[in-house]
Amino acid sequence: EHHCIMAQRLFYPTLRNSLRCFGTTPGWQTEAVAVPQAPSAPLILNETSEIDKNVAEVAREAWIETLDPSGENLHVGLIHLHPKVFATYPRLDIIHENVVWQQKYRMVNTSHTKLRSEVRGGGRKPWPQKGTGRARHGSIRSPLWKGGGVVHGPRAFTTQFYMLSFGKRIMGLTSTLSAKFAQDDLKIVENLDMPSDEAGFLEKLCEDRCWGPSVLFVDDCDLMPRNITVATDTINHINLMPVYGLNVYSMLKHNTVVLTVSASQCIEERILHHLNKPDYHLINCAKCYNK
Amino acid sequence: QDEVMTSSGTEKALSLLRRLPRVSIGNLGPNPGAHNEKRRGRGIYGGKTHGAGSGGSGQRQNFMRVGYETGNTPFYLRFSYQTYYKGHHLKLSYTPLCMGKLQMMIDTNRLRCDVPVDVTQLMATGLFSISPQQKEGGFMLENEGIDHFKATINIEVQWANEAVIASVERNGGFITTAYFDPLSLTAAIKPVEFFGRGIAIPRRMLPPQHLIDYYSDPKNRGYLADPAEVARERFLLAQKYGYELPDVNASPNKDILLERKDPRQIFFGLEPGWVVNLKDKVILKPTDPELKEHFAS
Repeated sequence: EHHCIMAQRLFYPTLRNSLRCFGTTPGWQTEAVAVPQAPSAPLILNETSEIDKNVAEVAREAWIETLDPSGENLHVGLIHLHPKVFATYPRLDIIHENVVWQQKYRMVNTSHTKLRSEVRGGGRKPWPQKGTGRARHGSIRSPLWKGGGVVHGPRAFTTQFYMLSFGKRIMGLTSTLSAKFAQDDLKIVENLDMPSDEAGFLEKLCEDRCWGPSVLFVDDCDLMPRNITVATDTINHINLMPVYGLNVYSMLKHNTVVLTVSASQCIEERILHHLNKPDYHLINCAKCYNK
Repeated sequence: QDEVMTSSGTEKALSLLRRLPRVSIGNLGPNPGAHNEKRRGRGIYGGKTHGAGSGGSGQRQNFMRVGYETGNTPFYLRFSYQTYYKGHHLKLSYTPLCMGKLQMMIDTNRLRCDVPVDVTQLMATGLFSISPQQKEGGFMLENEGIDHFKATINIEVQWANEAVIASVERNGGFITTAYFDPLSLTAAIKPVEFFGRGIAIPRRMLPPQHLIDYYSDPKNRGYLADPAEVARERFLLAQKYGYELPDVNASPNKDILLERKDPRQIFFGLEPGWVVNLKDKVILKPTDPELKEHFAS
């Protein structure tokens, strides 16, 4: 039994890679032919990340589903997710900071007020310094006057750009992934191959599985299979995203986040790389975790 | 498999989340006290003042110069010097590196042993920070852990005592003490940044007067000492501490162990005068005979 699982582990990745170009064929059917066991046996992906292997915490398990409902099993296999990426403490305040940052960094304020030098007029001294019983003034556009210039008012095209520290951005991703996974809003799918390219088909599929109205599909490669691309084209609340576009705001905006197996492995590898690299002290990561 | 659950805090938080509403953009907020709502002071009554009080010279920001003591000789002028810091600008301090820590770095693969270990390699571990501007000279090896030091390495540091030298040589390794002047040290500790500046690799300067004796002494394995005398001292030290000096010719890492830098060289494999272009992956070497003569001297 042990070497059968080993055989699966050896066969599965190579076949997966070779079938990547042909998006329409459901991969698991061909995979069933190669594996000596019965096709209904679940595939257990026990591969732990190369980077952070010796972790005392228990790995989280998730079903590997398929977008093809015609097969006998909804669940094709089981995947182990690294706890430091998918089961960290969900820092809601850091998630909030990330969301605020994503919204604000691209903001440019266009509100504008005039200074006393910019307001029309006000060059002449309104009345002599002494003699009239009135207060002394030099210009009718000084900030003291009605209609005068504004001293510390907004000035047009003030950028709100700032960069959140790298550690906080990493922590935002891990917290969001952990929160989504804890709330059953993170699904793992073996690939994005669908048998039909109709929008109705995909909507029915999502409804049947109680995936929230808005769904975010995340894949490793930015060239997605044809069927799902056509199906999601007209639906605005179901979106496709490559791994490099993964961000906290999008994950929270969509009710359900669906990762492909390769996408989840890519995310794990990248995040664990950044969490374990030796020059982390230069990127504020440690400071962030000690908070 | 020895697996324990995640820390109880995380477990509790994640299980709590399962019962709470979905985390969404409309649900989130900052931690209490994160956003400081400062109100701008306005006039004499509204809000806080701007730190100047009301009325008088203070509000008009008429301050005397810093240190002025209303006429008498101020403190900072009374004493023109203090003897306790005499020569502070000449004295170097070194980052201590225990032998135990060195062994741990090698065991955990944090420090590469397949190349000669020098300041650049030690800084590449990311565990130390050296600032040459603050009169720091480099690394010094400490005695802690010499008894269980087991690695065979070719190491170059800035200061080492006899016991440390013995512990390195006992395992078949080689130790050299070398001086780096501040500019060369800045280049050595952050080579990529240095190459990015696009200037020629400088010649390493010789040690100052009070240090030249140390680096010329074969007992300290100084880089300016005669290699023959260094070899003799190796033999004598082995006799003193009572270990058999391993034959370097028999070891498989002979080339790595016998690699030494020229006294004017900063990086292994790179000579002074060369310009390293990392972007185009090209090294530019001087062709002018005067320049060549200058850098080769």
